[in-house]
Amino acid sequence: MNTTEALHALDRRSFLRGVGVTLALPLMDSFASAATLAKPPVRLAFMYMPHGVIMDQFWPSNQETFLNAPPPIIQSLQPVIDQCLMMKGISGVPIAPFNGAPHALELSTWLTGRLPDADSRDRINISISADQIMANYVGAQTLLPSLELATMPQTWKENQEGLHEGYYNHCSFRSPTQPVPAETDPRNVLNRLFGKRGKDAKTSQTNPLDRKMLDRVLEGARDLRRTLARGDQEKLDEYLDSVRSVERRIAAIESRQQEAALEKNGVRPSRRHATDSAPIEVKIPEGDKRSDYMKVMCDLTVLAFQTDTTRVSTYVGSRPNGASYPELGFSNQHHSQTHYGSDQEKIRKVAAINQFNVDQYAYMVRKMSTLKEGEGTLLDNCIMMWGSGLEDGDKHKRENLPFIIAGKGGGSIKTGHFLTDIHGNQGDLLTTLLSCAGIPLDRSIGIATKQINEMKA
Amino acid sequence: MRLLRVAALTCALYCSLVLGGKGESEEDLRLEAKKTFKENVEPFVKQYCTRCHGGGRAKANVNLEVDLKAPGRGVAFLHWKKAVANVKVHDMPPEDAAKQPSKEERLQFIEWIDQLKYLSPVNPGPFVIRRLSTTEYGNTLRDLYGVDPSIAAPLPEEVLGEGYLNSISPMQSELFLDLANRVVEQVVAPEGKRATDVQRRLFGKKTRKEEEYQYAAREVARNLARDAYRRPPTKTELDVLMDVFGLAQTEGLDYTASLAMMLKAVLISPQFLFITPSTEISAEQEIVPLDDHQLASRLSYLLWASPPDTKLSTLADQGKLHHPKILRAQIKRLLKHPRARALFDGFGAQWLRVTDLRRQVFDPELFPQMTVQMREAMTDEPRLLFENIVQKNHRVIRFIDCDYTYVNEPLANLYGIKKHIRGPRMRRIQLDNPNRGGILGMSATLAATSFPNRTSPVRRGVWVLEQVLGERIPPPPPDIPELKDKEHPDVKGLTLRQRTEAHTSDPTCATCHRVLDPIGFGLENFDAIGRWREENHEGTPIDSAGELPSGETFSSPAELKNLLKTREPELARNLTERFMAYALGRHLEGYDEVVIDQLMARIAEDDYRAQTILTEVITSYLFTHRAVEKIL
Repeated sequence: MNTTEALHALDRRSFLRGVGVTLALPLMDSFASAATLAKPPVRLAFMYMPHGVIMDQFWPSNQETFLNAPPPIIQSLQPVIDQCLMMKGISGVPIAPFNGAPHALELSTWLTGRLPDADSRDRINISISADQIMANYVGAQTLLPSLELATMPQTWKENQEGLHEGYYNHCSFRSPTQPVPAETDPRNVLNRLFGKRGKDAKTSQTNPLDRKMLDRVLEGARDLRRTLARGDQEKLDEYLDSVRSVERRIAAIESRQQEAALEKNGVRPSRRHATDSAPIEVKIPEGDKRSDYMKVMCDLTVLAFQTDTTRVSTYVGSRPNGASYPELGFSNQHHSQTHYGSDQEKIRKVAAINQFNVDQYAYMVRKMSTLKEGEGTLLDNCIMMWGSGLEDGDKHKRENLPFIIAGKGGGSIKTGHFLTDIHGNQGDLLTTLLSCAGIPLDRSIGIATKQINEMKA
Repeated sequence: MRLLRVAALTCALYCSLVLGGKGESEEDLRLEAKKTFKENVEPFVKQYCTRCHGGGRAKANVNLEVDLKAPGRGVAFLHWKKAVANVKVHDMPPEDAAKQPSKEERLQFIEWIDQLKYLSPVNPGPFVIRRLSTTEYGNTLRDLYGVDPSIAAPLPEEVLGEGYLNSISPMQSELFLDLANRVVEQVVAPEGKRATDVQRRLFGKKTRKEEEYQYAAREVARNLARDAYRRPPTKTELDVLMDVFGLAQTEGLDYTASLAMMLKAVLISPQFLFITPSTEISAEQEIVPLDDHQLASRLSYLLWASPPDTKLSTLADQGKLHHPKILRAQIKRLLKHPRARALFDGFGAQWLRVTDLRRQVFDPELFPQMTVQMREAMTDEPRLLFENIVQKNHRVIRFIDCDYTYVNEPLANLYGIKKHIRGPRMRRIQLDNPNRGGILGMSATLAATSFPNRTSPVRRGVWVLEQVLGERIPPPPPDIPELKDKEHPDVKGLTLRQRTEAHTSDPTCATCHRVLDPIGFGLENFDAIGRWREENHEGTPIDSAGELPSGETFSSPAELKNLLKTREPELARNLTERFMAYALGRHLEGYDEVVIDQLMARIAEDDYRAQTILTEVITSYLFTHRAVEKIL
């Protein structure tokens, strides 16, 4: 894409106001003069497990045990624990008047930091989520604005408190009314990252001419928009916005191809250091072992970040209800074990599920800590958060939500600490994370009242 | 001219609605409802509710004081519905409240709130443009271009329900573009190869003189757009497609490839991916009838999950489809077509809650029978029953009271049917066992309400009340533990019934469970996958004494069915409401109930027949009209 075209594209982008988002201007920096090596961008990922944790096996008792003898559930993080941060005292969103919907809301409040609109609870009406706010600012600079992954389909059917079923399964919302569906097939993710399809993955899925064709289609859609009623117009805006991101993706693939051609001729792209690790290899597993499956999704996140294909991602490692873990030697569904009361057997099973989920996360961040990027490692330049929307699945408590943050966020996060005396909420945490990722916010997220300065470096 | 016609039609339809079921005008009913609210509801609410649900700190954010001021408002309506559900099962006022209403007062309250609907203004609700579902998208590609509908498989799974089908994410757009490319690849032969049949149909003859390109391409564009947009394209829409054609020509593509690019543009256009109106609305209109093309699409996607066929399209082009007689005839025709299977897959399965049976988790050690084939057969049984009742236009009570069913060999074995049934083919059989037959005696529904390792009498009770009788059960409070496992030391040796009773002895639980559990226990002779049993896993005989909220008792599924036979009006209303909500793609509220009342009067006159329900819903004011937000 040449500069004139890029500017033209920007003009078209800026007309969209209907969806209530600010669209960032893409910095066409992938070909910035190679004289100065740019600092690697900060990337942000969220990974989710529902139903909370067995608290006394999750929380370290103090800073000392955090570093030297982490509790069982987080043990697999030991090798990178100095690059992790844990905080106690982050509360979730209070869910009244939806008291009967603790699980329908644990995921959908997680990254929005607020409740659905009570008056229109039977449709999706919540708030843009933190990951999508970030995508709006930096998404235009990469091939994909954001990446949304999930381990299982998002179609749990249960209607708690008259809430739309979509609340059960979605953490990402592109606008208050647009849940973002997640990709569950690793093959499709791989195709999206590299714009290829087919068994041999040699045929390119994208055609430069398509971008120009889409341009005409968008033009036509705008004509259609003029004839529609207001509610319809808003829906069409969402379509326009979504197609525009496809255009952008095609343009990004084109420039990536040019980049590759230049590299062949010995011109190194501006962002890459000579010492940077080569992109990791991803193997799609055969069979249906949950750990294999989750690991490949983690690998894909690493690869997407490593190749700067996207800078923000979410991974719903499992959704509320429905998940079972035959690998752990029992067939019970996760939720059925979480109301454990004093039942030691159930506590043991829930702890095993917790550990299983953290293990996959640990696999991901440990791998990132071995990959060189710029002056440090890939993990140094990322913020990888793992967490749950409940503190405890037994009583549905949400006073101390379990979180782990790994990565220094390009030097913005204070890692190697277990902070016990934090007083903040989920909105505060999300606001702080976006600030650490360099996202200028014009207002705080959800119920936030402040930033958590204790976690900043 | 067009505006005038629309206005006249709206008026005619409105006037025909003014006469309510009992001969009272809607206005009379509205005045009466206002009076009831002032004189009856308000004192009741002030006496029993507003101490907690009023003032500055209303509990659960339900402020009935505010709701009393504007009782017909959307959110207030929801609160009243909830209030009725809670008051009905004695969940509210709470046990420790100072004053409790008498049984009569409770019943009166329920009756009063029922009048609330008359306070809502006449409104068909919006019909916001919506995207085709994955199924509809696949079927549409099949009908128009002869591709296999499974081409849509890469699209993400969808949650049904209002709002979801409106949105479209970047990933979905990428996939739509990718799929458009695949369709074009399948339809348009590569250069030098013989054109495919579909290609010839879409693009016409191949060789043309260059000076004819523009004219010919525009004709192709017109036909492509007419089919794909499900309405005649506007001039501007054709210009856009011609722009794409021109672009392809400029880039050096040959004539056919340029047309192919145009086809791709059609397939990624919002007019194809969404159901859009064909007529502009004027600024002063608030309620408009659907235009005939929109009606054709809404109808066809509802019953077939496919686009309108030639017959429907022609009627829409002629502007005839909205005539009640013609619309009724078309409904009948569509229901006869094999594509009407979509009605069960989309609506029936959801109503019976068997949509997830194919991947519902069952403990493989306890239930090795739950193979893919078995699940398939289990799901086919209610489908075939549903289709038969609809096709033959039987009374809806046949869903309950039915002396035949559909089985294949595995399913017959599961049921212990001795007849000679071989092979995987599902076939109709006559039943002599009164416990089998109908939705209460089949494994699909019985398994759908079970846990992986056991039955759930509570869920079965809820299922009977909600899915069959259309009751609303308030959700359980948060923080309740699951039933203690049978191995737990506290409950070892107790039966499921005893464990459930111990579990629900807590007064706050007991109010609802007194209503729910006895129904489920009456079905305990069916195990978690619907097999008949006389004793449980431990060898204890099943105690299948059951009771309905009305106090009627039963001790076998056959007896329960006998009791429910007298409840056909409730079953029919439940089905009508559910089908209406499904057809409109939204929850029902306020004015919708007034319309449902009117439909029920006519449906009752025709003995609660299945097709009558479907037809009344589709020809109703709610389905054929939409409210539009003013353009600012």
